[in-house]
Amino acid sequence: MLSLTHGHTRKYYQTLKSNPKLDWIAVCAENKEVKKIFESGKHGVPCYLDEHEMYKKHPEIEAVILASANNRHLAQVRDCAKRGLHVLSMKIPTFDMAEYDEMINLVDRSGIIFQIELEMHYNPVVHRLKKLIADGKIGKILSVQATNITLSPVWAFPWQGMPEKSYGKRIPLRRDDKRFRGGALCDHPHIFDLIRWLTGSDFDFVFSDVGKNIRPELEVEDMLLINGKMQDGTVFLLDPSWSRMEERLKIPGPGWEVFPKRMEVNLMISGEKGVLACDCFGPNVYHNGAPNDRYTVQYTYFDEWIGLVDEFVDCIRNHKQPKINLKWHRQTIAAMNACYRSISRKMPEKVVI
Amino acid sequence: MTDKLMAGMNAALEKIANKYGIKNHAVFAPAAPRAAVEAVLKTSSKTFMLLPWRAERRFTELKNITTNGTLEDISTLRLCAIFSKSSSTLDQLLYRQFDLCEYLGGADIKSLFAVFNGKNAANVIVKLINGRNCSVECSVMLPAGAEEIDRHEIIARRGVASDRAVDTQIPQASIYAFTGKGEKRFTDIDSELFGFAPQAINLIRAAFTVLSNPETGKAWNQQHEKLLRLVAAAKKSDQTQKPASF
Repeated sequence: MLSLTHGHTRKYYQTLKSNPKLDWIAVCAENKEVKKIFESGKHGVPCYLDEHEMYKKHPEIEAVILASANNRHLAQVRDCAKRGLHVLSMKIPTFDMAEYDEMINLVDRSGIIFQIELEMHYNPVVHRLKKLIADGKIGKILSVQATNITLSPVWAFPWQGMPEKSYGKRIPLRRDDKRFRGGALCDHPHIFDLIRWLTGSDFDFVFSDVGKNIRPELEVEDMLLINGKMQDGTVFLLDPSWSRMEERLKIPGPGWEVFPKRMEVNLMISGEKGVLACDCFGPNVYHNGAPNDRYTVQYTYFDEWIGLVDEFVDCIRNHKQPKINLKWHRQTIAAMNACYRSISRKMPEKVVI
Repeated sequence: MTDKLMAGMNAALEKIANKYGIKNHAVFAPAAPRAAVEAVLKTSSKTFMLLPWRAERRFTELKNITTNGTLEDISTLRLCAIFSKSSSTLDQLLYRQFDLCEYLGGADIKSLFAVFNGKNAANVIVKLINGRNCSVECSVMLPAGAEEIDRHEIIARRGVASDRAVDTQIPQASIYAFTGKGEKRFTDIDSELFGFAPQAINLIRAAFTVLSNPETGKAWNQQHEKLLRLVAAAKKSDQTQKPASF
């Protein structure tokens, strides 16, 4: 694993340990502080501060997980392609479409497997949702409303609040706005991807507007809404905000959430023959105990990383193309960029591939 | 349980055992009619009774909450199971709920006092040896086909934990489908065993637990014998109108 600064990093640890098809060989931390946090977990895996040193000492490494800030991805992908290492990338390879196309070329030329972590595809509720829709239970989809709302991870993973590291550049949201691209939208590609899977259609246009930040000290957006149309006529309304307040913990753990449910992905889908209401992370169990005596949703299942890693291994061993590969994911990134353009222009934006 | 389902469960058990490098081998076999659990696990030389709710994720998480310091000074557990006669007998419900009293309460049952209304409903007050009280409310009077209702609440000096959300009376689902054929609910919580009903998933996970650690199987066999005695004692308590002590 590289860098260990992504919010999903720790979610891999159990899977990497328990899947006997994997040997978790080493990690390389972004800095000494991250290394210290990793080593406090006593994982029994060597932790380096220099990627080249790690690769030199461990020539047996076949694949890496890019658990880094978005602006680090391209350099790491270049290096992996040169070394012939397969890559499991965090959910945003890059927002820069020229960089994105360079990644596609690097992967094509090197022949490595490149899978993008959109873990919702391995969520059992999403599995059921896809099946119900594919089986025609509600007919053709007419409308999708979806939330991907969470607390903000910026206090634990500061790069997610830094425009240059999250979006890749420092671009103002609007001429009359002091905030920059790189906030909640950059954290939440899942619902953009899911609507493409569920409808089998691509984006036509999006309209997006930002709200007043509920964390005024952030220089990136934390509240926004998006609506628009798919090419098949499906209308949608998406909420990818950081609308759930958090305690400002440096290391995520119990008591992180202020709102009881720290993360929600819900979909309400209207079709020609009926309606589906879907909560991808519920029901769960609930308590108001330690550490903060607040009503809290205690999640009972996080299978996503098991299926995700199983697919990655299968693709490497059997030379398959991952479901979420760079070429598939390109339109999702293009749609998210169109949202930023819409915010800037205060007008709907065509999603151009 | 149909032969086809049993065969599917055996195949799934073998698959996850292989995936995680478990060498032990066993297969499901049908339990006796109206036994507390529909299937048992058989190796070449042993039969293991399964306690599938102990592999159910909501109970795993509730158990964690009772032991990891989230709750402090637990006082009382409130357990409820309202099913239909087509899915359960009262004995089966009491068997499960008494086990959950001990599992979530963290101690053996010391005494109980039960009141029954025939084979339809029973209400029991249970005392654990660690001093915790439990209420056990059971009924099999839901109409056939109705969604089962249960609730497991743990009340402590610091905090309350429950598998039911505040301000709700019935279990929630992950997906609600509203179509011309009415409303249908789906709750899927296990990707590796997707496609099986929750009861089958819990059985497979429980069997996997035993395969991974046969000592658990031995402990569950002992627990099974005790649970049968507890259910019998509850009936006797109702008949004699006297508490039963153990």
